[in-house]
Amino acid sequence: MIDTLKNPAHRAWLVLIVATGITWYLGEVGAAGTWSIVAMLLIAFVKGRLVILDFMELREAPLLWRMLLEGWLILVSSLILLAYWISLK
Amino acid sequence: MAGMTTSSSTQAASQAITQAATHRLPGDLAIWFFILAELLAFAVFFAAYAFARASHVEEFNLYQQTLDRNLGALNTLLLITGSWFVVLAVQAAHRDNRPAIARHLLLGWLCGAGFLVVKVFEYAAKFGAGISMSTNTFYMFYISLTFFHFMHVILGMVILTVLWVQARKGVYGSHDAHGLESGAAYWHMVDLLWIILFPLVYVMR
Amino acid sequence: MQYKSQAVAKPYFIAAIGLFVGQILFGLILGLQYVLGDFLFPAIPFNVARMVHTNLLIVWLLFGFMGGAYYMIPEESETELFSPKLALALFWIFLVAGALTIVGYLAVPYATLAELTGNNLLETMGREFLEQPLPTKLGIVVVALAFLFNITMTVLKGKKTSISIVLLLGLWGLAVFFLFSFYNPVNVVLDKFFWWWTVHLWVEGVWELILGSFLAFVLIKTTGVDREVIEKWLYVIVTLTLITGIIGTGHHYFWIGTPEYWQWWGSIFSALEPIPFFAMTVFAFNMVNRRRREHPNKAAVLWALGTGVMAFLGAGVWGFLHTLAPVNYYTHGTQITAAHGHMAFYGAYAMVNLMMISYAMPILRGRAANGNKSQVLEMWSFWLMTVAMVFITLFLTAAGILQVWLQRVSDTPLPFMVAQEKIQLFYWMREWAGVAFLIGLILYIASFFAGGDEKEAA
Repeated sequence: MIDTLKNPAHRAWLVLIVATGITWYLGEVGAAGTWSIVAMLLIAFVKGRLVILDFMELREAPLLWRMLLEGWLILVSSLILLAYWISLK
Repeated sequence: MAGMTTSSSTQAASQAITQAATHRLPGDLAIWFFILAELLAFAVFFAAYAFARASHVEEFNLYQQTLDRNLGALNTLLLITGSWFVVLAVQAAHRDNRPAIARHLLLGWLCGAGFLVVKVFEYAAKFGAGISMSTNTFYMFYISLTFFHFMHVILGMVILTVLWVQARKGVYGSHDAHGLESGAAYWHMVDLLWIILFPLVYVMR
Repeated sequence: MQYKSQAVAKPYFIAAIGLFVGQILFGLILGLQYVLGDFLFPAIPFNVARMVHTNLLIVWLLFGFMGGAYYMIPEESETELFSPKLALALFWIFLVAGALTIVGYLAVPYATLAELTGNNLLETMGREFLEQPLPTKLGIVVVALAFLFNITMTVLKGKKTSISIVLLLGLWGLAVFFLFSFYNPVNVVLDKFFWWWTVHLWVEGVWELILGSFLAFVLIKTTGVDREVIEKWLYVIVTLTLITGIIGTGHHYFWIGTPEYWQWWGSIFSALEPIPFFAMTVFAFNMVNRRRREHPNKAAVLWALGTGVMAFLGAGVWGFLHTLAPVNYYTHGTQITAAHGHMAFYGAYAMVNLMMISYAMPILRGRAANGNKSQVLEMWSFWLMTVAMVFITLFLTAAGILQVWLQRVSDTPLPFMVAQEKIQLFYWMREWAGVAFLIGLILYIASFFAGGDEKEAA
């Protein structure tokens, strides 16, 4: 079990599955408003980052490309956050 | 043509772009440019959704409830798992475990196929209820975004098919995983996009 | 010149430049008619001058594309052209048909021309850019098919490179999409659909493939960068072009009786249309920076870099300027569109043809590159035409912004003609920029006669 988790791909997969479960659960209990939006965006951000670093294997890649992809994730999350923040006002 | 070296042009290309880097970019530089353009397209689409929602909050909140969250979550699991299998295929290539490459690619492909089947059921229910792109702004975005992504899943599966055929021929291994890594990167992008799309369209309110 | 049959490109290039001169002269007449409404009336009314200006543009670009293809394909395929005789015959047919059409536009009223040429048999006339009478349209199809046959057979018997495949894709697309011009439904929404499927899918779709392929060819020849690297870029550019260009057609579907979602699809995908043009610019500069040799033809390299930058500005930036649905709501059909049209056509298609001519013509005339004097003159013409076009675009943009403001945004909107009166100053300045452009074009032609090879120039 411990050996299995040494593979970053296995670790990432496990976290991704659990995180998806959490988002789904938040939906089921009807979570809404500021904190649930922030929580879900945060979860999506962590998940996206895991895909970029461990699935796309950019953790060890040239910094430029890692930054481009992670930058995309930050950009998209902030735009969504901004739009939702506007909608809450 | 005279005076040309035969060195690997791709390596030269990646090095020229990222001179400071000592690390390797998996796959081909061109596929990463392509991925970047695709990501940008979706970024615009996601932002358009979020900002359109800001001026139709009640409509979006109301009709979001009609979406099948369970199927959306199931599809997330399918894509994540499909992505995971493809990572394992790449790892198998680096270990020169040839049979494992093709096997994992096939499993990844099956996850993609599962995604498409689930999505078709979801669409059938929605279209059966008479919903179309002209019903309202929320459904316009729901159909546009998921359908655009749907097309990308299909393209990703076409790529996986090519990789699988090549893997069966024994093209990939520790000596050369270039094409495999390129295709894998595209497949992960399809996963990455859905990871944003699912909470955004199905859950966040 | 590696293959004898490449020589058929020469008459095509010469005709292209000749028609280009005609286009510019009619452009100047038109520009003057904006400020002096009755200039040359009734001999050449505004609508006729406009039709001649745009039709000459399309015809000379087509001549350039065909000439470029005839030059490039034998070299890429490493074999002689399938039939040089056919290529020459087509040249004369196309030239005579084109000339007769223009004479028809100028000699008789358009309605009479329509009557004389059997428009009542199949109504295809009267749509912008596709005004050609039925016989001309049929002629274009015949010439295009015979041309494609010739080119395709050459590729089939020779080596198949990515560059020639992309060119074939572009040329076949050009011919196939032209077929939409034969269908002119009564329903005005459908009419617009079919019209755009020719016009838009040409300039924002398949023509870009021709552009990319020519650019890649000249870059390989002048920089000596590995074909592999150049082809990879070409693939990325082609894919991006097709995705954004095809769905971007939606930006023509705003408020013409189409479903509302087109406002979103059209806006989003056309917002992405600058990407392939940007990639092309980066591509051109990147390849030139990594050049493995100094090609003697500096002028051709300048055109290659120029077309990347100007296509990005004209098609990409100026296109984006008015492509979003909420913006287009106000700017539709104003001088903003004219500004975009001018710079995009010049930057993307006029310049890529001039690049091809600049690269191929000296070789066709038996030297690797023109002499120093000739090249200096050509570079002057490059800068003069390009800067003049930038000014034409800026003046038209200013005119357009003012027009939108006075005629559409203002609380007390002015009627069209009153608004036009108020922006005359910009039309005058545009006309003078047009004169500068003509001088640039004259210098360009003069460069062909200024000195031969290096020895002669010395």
